[in-house]
Amino acid sequence: MGSDDLEARQLRSSNILLNLLRTVSILIMISLVLPVLNPARLSGLISKDSALLTISLSYQSLTSGFIRALNRGWMEESTLTLIYIASVIITIGIVILSAGCFMTLGKIRLQKLGARLSAIGSAIGMPGLVMLIPAYNAMSQTSNPGKVEPMFPIGVYVFFGLLALNFAISLITAIKLPKPQAADRYEMEAKYQLFLMILPFVILTFVFAYLPLWGWRYAFFNYKPGLGLNEFVGFKWFTFLFENSATRRDIIRVITNTLAMSGIGIATSWLPMAFAIFLAEIKSAKVSRMVQTFTTIPNFISWVLVYTFAFALFSTEGFVNSMLIDLGLIEKGRNFLMDGDHIWLKMWAWGTWKGLGWSAIIYIAGISGIDQQLYEAATIDGAGRFRKMWNITVPGLIPTYSVLLLLSIAGILSNGMDQYFVFKNSANKETIEVLDLYVYTLGLGSGGSGNIPLATVVGMLKSIISVTLLFTANRISKLVRGETIV
Amino acid sequence: MDEVYNTKQALKPQKKRKHRYKRTKGDIIFNIINYTVYILFTLICVFPFYYLLINTISANELVRTGQIKLYPIGIHFKNYIALANVNNLGSSVMVSVARTVIGTATMVLASAFVGYLVTKRNMWGRRFIYRFLIITMYFNAGLIPWYLTMSMLGLTNNFWGYIIPGIVAPYNIILVKTYIESIPAELEESAFVDGAGYFTIFRKIIWPLSKPILATIAIFGAVGHWNSFTDSMILMSGKPELYTLQYRLYIYLSSTSNLSALMNSGGAVNKSILDAALNMRTVKLTVAMVTIIPILLVYPFMQRYFEKGIMIGAVKG
Repeated sequence: MGSDDLEARQLRSSNILLNLLRTVSILIMISLVLPVLNPARLSGLISKDSALLTISLSYQSLTSGFIRALNRGWMEESTLTLIYIASVIITIGIVILSAGCFMTLGKIRLQKLGARLSAIGSAIGMPGLVMLIPAYNAMSQTSNPGKVEPMFPIGVYVFFGLLALNFAISLITAIKLPKPQAADRYEMEAKYQLFLMILPFVILTFVFAYLPLWGWRYAFFNYKPGLGLNEFVGFKWFTFLFENSATRRDIIRVITNTLAMSGIGIATSWLPMAFAIFLAEIKSAKVSRMVQTFTTIPNFISWVLVYTFAFALFSTEGFVNSMLIDLGLIEKGRNFLMDGDHIWLKMWAWGTWKGLGWSAIIYIAGISGIDQQLYEAATIDGAGRFRKMWNITVPGLIPTYSVLLLLSIAGILSNGMDQYFVFKNSANKETIEVLDLYVYTLGLGSGGSGNIPLATVVGMLKSIISVTLLFTANRISKLVRGETIV
Repeated sequence: MDEVYNTKQALKPQKKRKHRYKRTKGDIIFNIINYTVYILFTLICVFPFYYLLINTISANELVRTGQIKLYPIGIHFKNYIALANVNNLGSSVMVSVARTVIGTATMVLASAFVGYLVTKRNMWGRRFIYRFLIITMYFNAGLIPWYLTMSMLGLTNNFWGYIIPGIVAPYNIILVKTYIESIPAELEESAFVDGAGYFTIFRKIIWPLSKPILATIAIFGAVGHWNSFTDSMILMSGKPELYTLQYRLYIYLSSTSNLSALMNSGGAVNKSILDAALNMRTVKLTVAMVTIIPILLVYPFMQRYFEKGIMIGAVKG
């Protein structure tokens, strides 16, 4: 009884220790990717946006700001090399420590090994941090402190504290954990094994899909390329968007274009369904197959290639001009691509050319899923071709159609930028620019002098409205059809 | 698996419809109109490809002045040989091929593995993890924050910037997961009893059995990689040697500079240009043709798979 009690208490205390170890390890891993806590940022010339991990992965990301400083001899390159070596050592330590941390999810033998590795990792990382001190001293001897801005970042203390703490906890855990029995093996419960297997992909998703959300903070700051965020300005860029008459005009124009082009798309969204329905009336399997094959190809080429076709067919020496001249309709060719009229319709036409056959596939499959007996019964009742289409085929396809329609309404603001980017030119830029293209042009399109915060604001508002629309559409679908779409 | 089998059946063109109409006059008119419309649209879809082709193999002087309309005149293939001298084209082809191969391979491997893992109900935190992965299909932070993140990670002006963000593809994960769930569970269980680990089961059982769906996502992934150009423009602006073929083509198309600026200089080259009477129009169109050819080559194989993909995708994950 007494020994059971003791064992239970021992188990509980080692569980607490293990949880503590995991928490601290995870904090260290997070610090590794936080630019704010970068301990290697010993100079203002190191980008505010790079985390310790960035620096240890690429030497270039460390040195890129120092080209002038090195050329002018303000400092030695060996300082940078030292910083780089230190960063790599710290990162290696943290990688080992993380491996140890994940091993503690296993059974006793793995736990013990994990705790040891965690201690070793922390022990490797700490000298790396210490190496930053001579690097800082070398940095502060620069001949131009005003430009090089030597600094001793707070990250050094944070990292040192965390690593020391982790070292102590791991050591205690390693000692306190009960001795494994001879029968114990290095093994882990299946549920944790599976978790660890999927973890790398969860991290990738986090980095590329969730971490950018953190970039929304750019909307609240002034931003200078290379210097990162310098001053918090609250909602300045939000009000600027609507108060500055030039941007307000742009926004209204761009939203009009976006809604118009999406609107034309939605208004004609029944076309693929009609395409499929009338294609089913073609009784020759060969012809039907051929139509399907060739109308689907355009979906698989890029918008650049579509533009090449437009160029080949509609430019001054293109097919259309040659034919018109041959027919004697015009005297001299002109470049139709530089014609800014009816851009919305032209873009819709190209989109339809590219996508109609492809979008019809889902309806073609839907039609063959409709019960044939319905048609036979209708024929006996004397229903004609169009009657059957309207009363049997169309109702059979409406569920699919309504899902796609709801999705396209939810995506009304997102028509992508590829198509409009390639077709844009000086004659049509007023009517072709959609939101996605506007965000690009505003933020990145002008060769580094773009307005990053303002572009972030527009993108952010767009994302929020789109998600809201999607959830509304989902709710509507649930109410009307009793089924969700996402 | 039944589901997939049925889909395949369902996608056969409608031969089964047996009821025959009595051919009235109206039917005949309807058929004439119907066939005409479809054949016209099909021609409109195909003609640009054909027009591009005949313009790259016809006499270049005629192409420059727009004389090649419906059939080629003075057939030659010098343009394709002359492409060897177009600046930067070689490196762009290399980049495009490399990103298509590496990007597709990593994406397919990851989708297969993750798709398999999320079918395991005993995974710790499975529900949360699955949602965490899938929900990313429905929102994104926007172009600028994404670009800044990529830049912070050192993935701008870096070849891996094409590959790494595309490894986890939620939609493909759903496709694979749905497919694997249709594989009889007994197959896996018996292997598990035999002491095989998850990796072994994945390699020996799941991977071979999921080949049809993996082929589907591989094709879509490859086409996506081959066709993308905006990421090239946004991420690689500081390193033109990493531009993809598509973006290079866009640059050629929008360039107004003369031919000699586009081609490598040098006596021998100039001679070959003169021989072929190359001009901007033929160079642009020939580069485009080279960009299309890979798609046209894989298209017949793709057709078998993409319809299947679309149908499985319609079944929600």
